Amino acid sequence: MKLVSISAFEIAQKVRGGELKASQVTQEALAQIRKVDGIPGSLLPYQVSAEEERKVHAFIQVTEEMALAQAKKVDEAVANGEDPGMLAGVPISIKDIFCVEGTTTTAASRFLENFEAPYTATSVQKLIDAGGVILGKVNLDEFTFGSSTESSAYQPSTNNPWNTEHVPGGSSGGSAASVAAEETALSLGTDTGGSIRQPAAFCGVVGLKPTYGRISRLGLIAFSSSLDCPGPISRDVRDAALMLQAMAGQDPKDSTSSVRPVGNYLQALEQDVRGLRIGLSPDYEAVYYPDLETGEIHREPIQKEVHDAVLRAAEVLAKAGAEIVENVPMPNTRYGIPVYFVVSRIEAASNLHRFDGVKYGYRTKSEVRNLEELYRRTRAEGFGPEPKLRILMGMYLSAAGYSSDYYQHALKVRAMIRRDFDRVFDPIGEFSLDAMLTPTTAATAFKRKDVFGDSLLMQYSDQMTVASNHAGVPAVTIPAGLDDGGLPIGIQLIGNDFCEDMILRIGRAFEQKTQDDAWRKVRPQALGGEVQA
Amino acid sequence: MKDYEVIIGLETHIQLNTVTKIFCSCKADSWEDEPNTNICPVCSGLPGVLPVLNEEAVRKGAALAAAMHAEINPESRFDRKNYFYPDLPKGYQITQFDQPIGKGGCLDLKMPDGQTRHVRIHKLHLEEDAGKTKIEHGTRLVDFNRCGVPLVEMVTEPDLRSGDEAAQYLIQLRQLLRWIGVSEADMERGHLRCDANVSIRKRGSEVLNTKTEIKNVNSIDAVRQAIGEEAKRQVELVESGGTVKSYTLDWDADRGKLTMMRSKESEADYRYFREPDLLPVVLSEEKIEAIRAGLPELPMVRRERFEREYGLSAYDAEILTGERSLSEYFEAAVKCFGGGEKSISNWMINDLTRLMNDLDKTAAELILTPAFLAEIIRLVEEGKINAATGKNLLRKVEESGRDPVEIVEAEGLAVIADSGALRTQIEAILAGAPDEVANFKAGKESLLGWFVGQVMRATGGKADPKLTREILLELLKN
Ligand SMILES: [Zn+2]
Repeated sequence: MKLVSISAFEIAQKVRGGELKASQVTQEALAQIRKVDGIPGSLLPYQVSAEEERKVHAFIQVTEEMALAQAKKVDEAVANGEDPGMLAGVPISIKDIFCVEGTTTTAASRFLENFEAPYTATSVQKLIDAGGVILGKVNLDEFTFGSSTESSAYQPSTNNPWNTEHVPGGSSGGSAASVAAEETALSLGTDTGGSIRQPAAFCGVVGLKPTYGRISRLGLIAFSSSLDCPGPISRDVRDAALMLQAMAGQDPKDSTSSVRPVGNYLQALEQDVRGLRIGLSPDYEAVYYPDLETGEIHREPIQKEVHDAVLRAAEVLAKAGAEIVENVPMPNTRYGIPVYFVVSRIEAASNLHRFDGVKYGYRTKSEVRNLEELYRRTRAEGFGPEPKLRILMGMYLSAAGYSSDYYQHALKVRAMIRRDFDRVFDPIGEFSLDAMLTPTTAATAFKRKDVFGDSLLMQYSDQMTVASNHAGVPAVTIPAGLDDGGLPIGIQLIGNDFCEDMILRIGRAFEQKTQDDAWRKVRPQALGGEVQA
Repeated sequence: MKDYEVIIGLETHIQLNTVTKIFCSCKADSWEDEPNTNICPVCSGLPGVLPVLNEEAVRKGAALAAAMHAEINPESRFDRKNYFYPDLPKGYQITQFDQPIGKGGCLDLKMPDGQTRHVRIHKLHLEEDAGKTKIEHGTRLVDFNRCGVPLVEMVTEPDLRSGDEAAQYLIQLRQLLRWIGVSEADMERGHLRCDANVSIRKRGSEVLNTKTEIKNVNSIDAVRQAIGEEAKRQVELVESGGTVKSYTLDWDADRGKLTMMRSKESEADYRYFREPDLLPVVLSEEKIEAIRAGLPELPMVRRERFEREYGLSAYDAEILTGERSLSEYFEAAVKCFGGGEKSISNWMINDLTRLMNDLDKTAAELILTPAFLAEIIRLVEEGKINAATGKNLLRKVEESGRDPVEIVEAEGLAVIADSGALRTQIEAILAGAPDEVANFKAGKESLLGWFVGQVMRATGGKADPKLTREILLELLKN
């Protein structure tokens, strides 16, 4: 088996045991990037040949030198009989929203084209300290604002490795695609409304949004600070557990990081699911959205194959000894997106204030007569359409006189969404669930350009994921089959606060019970698989 | 002018004297440092950074709230105040909006004429300072050193009625800040900054008319003058049929003039919302109690107690409580002396404060301890040394750090109270001045003073004056 195909867990085990050199793994990963990734996303005008159209385009920047140096350090540690760490020699890609010293950190925006952070994000530093090898920075929606990676200022944006005519999802599209295309074993993403889980589901990989505060946000360029979570993307559940283990824990530099002790996630995977109570909710069977003209709420059932995949997973878990609890009410799920529109836009508008052309990043090249013109031109030229839209909306929603109508109201509804989870996870309550089982997305990956441009519709692709961001609870997406078009389907497990061990354990059980399924043998197009008509 | 009443509210920004800034570990005070030398990714607003609250700033803010008789909120929160300016690197200021650390509060002003003015506090909250910008040769320069310096913003109700009262407010506030040790309160260094809101109304009226805001009144004199000027301007304007408009004015201390900065008609919208990067500040009942218990007796209380307990005059009590270590020095000296408060007060006000001024030291910094001062006063009062020697001893002890008794002995400064030894010396003096003796005997008794002077000169001022006169009279009258 090729080195790029094996799991992070196995790579680390082999490197630590001296069976495998980190340098060799790194070389192979770099070769795989050269083979499948194509031209890197950039601000320059480009022409995409038919061949390039079928490439993945996950990376904006490959940090070959840095990766080889890190790998060498791991190999030296092994040679000296030192412990190189739990991620020894494991190739990792980093969503380009994390500051990493020695790289440019672009946030996929023209604004930060040449920005080099003088410090490294805590999460990334922990990966490096654990022996991980950073291959480079991968593409995303500009400032993480989107669900398809198409809004990146760095084009071509990432394609879905399963079918390059489709989007990889977003905003961690480059992360999910790079893992799916076996360019890397792991990727670090961020999830604000579903930005890890949705692309992971679209690309047929595992994506975990941990509990808010479980992984430090320091060094993550903020989108919506009360919702943002860094998290792992991997090809199987055990790798996600391993990567979480390396990054979890309190950070004195992030006041919102939790002081709770970190569990042993790998050990948790060894337990089976007998006796666990897993809930299914009718509120995750349809997408609810308002009619723009009338405000009337429409109900659109989710894609049938996705719904079927959830039911099949429930059967698998029931057979393994879990107790499936049906008809669990989660009545406030449908308000997740409207609340998200308010909270995330207000925080985003404020977080983007610092990009003003004064200190770093883009500054207009044209002559300006005064300070206000400097701000106006710089921001008009530096930001793409999606950040502008979010700034406008955030400014509007937080303006004096509107704030009480929107922001204060949204905070109340957010608390109601939280109560939905409190009720079902209450150990002495009516449901006393260990996890919820839901679809990750309402449908599989859409075609490129199909949704892009309709900011509202794009946002609704997060409806299944956003509630757990509002509530702060952990959730993981796991591949659960392919649809008729050969595109991956993801199922989601949502747990109680800091119960990452529980959802990973259930996910691992599902993975093991379905390991001989026929769909698992199908390879993505980018890896030579056939695209179904 | 007499028909009008001036209504004043003061907005002060107080720099807390913490070692580090409020949200990062950069040095807080940059007074003598080059621009942009005390900065880091956090306080210069780089992407991806997060604030971490300095507990000491919270403690000092809460202590100030307690000293201002404000309620300390058991749970306060931080908010973002959003606006664009080059000295604000994040594009928002972290401040407290609707759940500040303190609620209410007041300060009673003791006016020189004996009247008391009760000033209520409208707002008391923690926030971070912004940086500084200046334009040099057509280029705008920015210094972020001050970004993130911890401040308390404290705003009074419109309870002040004259420039003198506003000045007195700042004097007492400055005293209080130093007294409880939360700020150096040096106005020249911007530790205590002040803006004044001024309006006028006909006497007897209860309405609040349109006010103007005077920025940068950053000294006690400036406050007094600027308010006086502005009140005069408003009265003249109204008297001549005009109306006061809501302006922001700038006080130019050098020229003693107000200039209009901008119209305040359109109030900026700061789009306040909760700072999601910080947790609520929770102060337990025990913590709040500990903060209150940790406060020293406050200046006004101590001043009244000094009058009551030691029988000091209002004037003496005010001076001795002007600064906390001076008042503590006084009480320590009284204790060492076992009373003697009147003479200790006199010595301190007349002599010790002069020494402190000369050496630019506070009472706490003196080497001359309260015990030494008590000893010197005792030596004088027991007639062991004379007053002049005592006064010189103050400086000698301060400079050498030696015990006054030791110095008196080593340098032979004690009064010559041995009548035998003194008589021998006086006899010698009289023998050397036969003319003066003759004149005296002939009735020119005013020469006695001259003889005393001669004795003092011969003994280096150490002769007991009473004994000297006795012996002189005895010898001259024979
Ligand atoms: Zn700093």
